[in-house]
Amino acid sequence: MLSWLSMIGYAQVRRGLLVVVAGLCLSVSAIADSQGAQEPVPASPAPETAEQWLTHMGPALNMTSYRGVFVYARGDQVSSLQIAHRYRNGMVEERLVLQDGGSGEIVRKGMKVVCVLPDHGRVQLDQVIPSGPFAEAFTSQLVPVIRWYAPELLGEDRIAGYNVVKIGLKARDQHRYSHRLWLEKSTGLLVKSHVRSGGGDVLEHFQFTSLEITDNIPDAELEVQFQGHEVERDLTAEQTDSPTPRMDGWVLRWQPEGFVPAAAPRSGTGQAVAFSDGLAAFSVFVEPMGRMSMPTGASRIGATTVYISQLDAGDKPFLITVVGEVPPATARKVAESVEIDDAMAFETAGR
Amino acid sequence: MDDRLRETLSAMMDDEADELAVRRLLSHGEQRDVRSQLQRWQQVRDLMHQGHVPADSVDVSAGVRRVLSGQRSSQSETPEVDVLARNWRWPAVAMVSLALIVGFGAGAGWESSEPGGGGAEFASAGATMTGDSAESPVQEVALQGLDEEQWEHVSRYLLEHAQHNSVGAGRGSVGYARLASASAPAY
Repeated sequence: MLSWLSMIGYAQVRRGLLVVVAGLCLSVSAIADSQGAQEPVPASPAPETAEQWLTHMGPALNMTSYRGVFVYARGDQVSSLQIAHRYRNGMVEERLVLQDGGSGEIVRKGMKVVCVLPDHGRVQLDQVIPSGPFAEAFTSQLVPVIRWYAPELLGEDRIAGYNVVKIGLKARDQHRYSHRLWLEKSTGLLVKSHVRSGGGDVLEHFQFTSLEITDNIPDAELEVQFQGHEVERDLTAEQTDSPTPRMDGWVLRWQPEGFVPAAAPRSGTGQAVAFSDGLAAFSVFVEPMGRMSMPTGASRIGATTVYISQLDAGDKPFLITVVGEVPPATARKVAESVEIDDAMAFETAGR
Repeated sequence: MDDRLRETLSAMMDDEADELAVRRLLSHGEQRDVRSQLQRWQQVRDLMHQGHVPADSVDVSAGVRRVLSGQRSSQSETPEVDVLARNWRWPAVAMVSLALIVGFGAGAGWESSEPGGGGAEFASAGATMTGDSAESPVQEVALQGLDEEQWEHVSRYLLEHAQHNSVGAGRGSVGYARLASASAPAY
């Protein structure tokens, strides 16, 4: 159960961890700077354990500059995207271009994100703008993640022309999926990943098919180039003091251990909160049912579960939806733990 | 068990597998996996058509298991060529049993219940749904069975979740990939 007190406590812990991560980033940055100045520095020891590699991966996600093409598969759907990612002067810039279907791209400059996505889809363009605290809640959890997943070094491999280490993260309980990560050896960059069911089936697959790790990425590669309905949003403005600003009126009585509130996705008419354990995430949406009826149950697309149920509160029906990379049984249990108080029910009924 | 084998198994359940494909399935080394996969699919099929999974998880899998165990003990001393013959029998029992219980026509409903359209995904879904024996199976909802308005609703949730993933999942491009995937026209 969440309370303001626990929220404050969580925020403090998170800030503390953030300081640690920031310190780590600064350390890496300092090393990079000194290497750039051609000064002899003692080589940092290469990671040897799975835990060390995970720690290595955190900064690498943002601080490695690279370009390449990766594929992503879930269910029977396969997408490929071209990416250019640059870390310069403490700012992350990246541009992703969809390679399948209609043309579209996502461009990020620091905390500013611009999306130009295919207009032939069923969804509105302004529904795909990233929102919520930018990575903050997650970067602080890269180390605690081993509390919920048993890390294991599974050997070495070669992906997209680069030598990699293979890390297994086996879920410690049945409430989450297991993961496998392939990290490039010299940088720690994630170049391949699997989300796996308890039976070992690969539910989601991400992998670079071509990759070039290089600092030579010109500005032109990071500019928006497609024409289309463009929407821009500054993510810094989305942050709020409370990590769960949209949970007023309802509470979640249960969530798997280790999942903490991480962001607040924008829900059309209701409230939504996202939770993460550092690797997996799920979002809980609560909104008045309206005139539309929805079936109760779970649907799956690869590792992503959508569980929908209905809850009556104050004689008003509410739609509870849990979406996330968690097993259906977990999503159901989360959905069933939602409680709505009457005040919220009356409030929303009056909309 | 790879995707190709799962597809073959799915096709066999729908009586659409050709002989060559079935032979390949039967010669697969991990017959235990094949058996459990078939059992899970059967449970999901029962769930779809009956609204629940029978308490004894039915007859068919239990019957197949009995047949298998009987064959295994009797064939342990037989030459290798008989292994194939043994392997031929149990899926045949499963096919006949399934045909009797749900009918071959159920194949259409089976296919439509798969969000991704592939037997593998649904099979794994079944595994997960029944993974915790202490809990009842989770009711499956076919995305393809939703009407336009319902799908719009679900797709919006998928996208909003993907938004969140794209910026904060701590795994770089994976989040963007989910976002792009969720913004695709339809599954």
